[in-house]
Amino acid sequence: MSRADSPGSEGSAGSPDSANGPGRPDPASAAPVAGEREPDARFTWANERTFLAWSRTALALVVGGLAVAQLLPPFPGVPWARHVIGIPLILLGAVIAVLCYTEWQASQRALRRGEPLPRSLLPRLLAGTIAVIALLAAVLALVSAVTSHP
Amino acid sequence: MSDPGGTDEIEDVDPGLAGARTELAWTRTAISFAAVGVVLLRHHPLVGIPVLALSLLVWELGRLRGNPATRRARHLQLITAGITGIALAALVITLATGW
Repeated sequence: MSRADSPGSEGSAGSPDSANGPGRPDPASAAPVAGEREPDARFTWANERTFLAWSRTALALVVGGLAVAQLLPPFPGVPWARHVIGIPLILLGAVIAVLCYTEWQASQRALRRGEPLPRSLLPRLLAGTIAVIALLAAVLALVSAVTSHP
Repeated sequence: MSDPGGTDEIEDVDPGLAGARTELAWTRTAISFAAVGVVLLRHHPLVGIPVLALSLLVWELGRLRGNPATRRARHLQLITAGITGIALAALVITLATGW
């Protein structure tokens, strides 16, 4: 057996029973329950890094949306355009922050059960929403250009 | 995992590298929170100060070792709550400014 197996076996040392009593696993701990087995710690760490990467993406979207709404000069003729671009970015950031946690939980569960990892919704959600917002920004810039230079 | 041919990957020799990469990911996340906190501090100190405090907490959490699966869920929930809180504050700030 390779040494790589040792972190996984260490991982099973802290079972939920130790913290919550036998048969009362803490649902928030994502700890294994009956019929599940703590995976190799490297898979758990990789899942955690994926969560952190999505969290940083979410944070960047929130701050990007705030920057668009607060720092961009108003579009001539379309003063509300900054808000129409910024608010969806902020909302997308919040949605991704929540979804990446639920996906981390689902992936951790699948790893413990030895099942295939669930397909992530986040890349499609991010790509689709960014594309729509970019299209919206282009239309608003065009409308602004037309209305301010008749 | 173990390869009879002796061509183990480096992490089979030292699995701690995965832990080190994860610790670095936590550090990057803490720095992201700190950067957002500094930006917010200039114009909205009431939001910026808690975000800076959160960045310190995230920094410290990234350095905790032990059983990753059982200890991490609450730590990750904190990050999710932090980002949704910042998003809510950003929404209020944006809606409060003129259209």
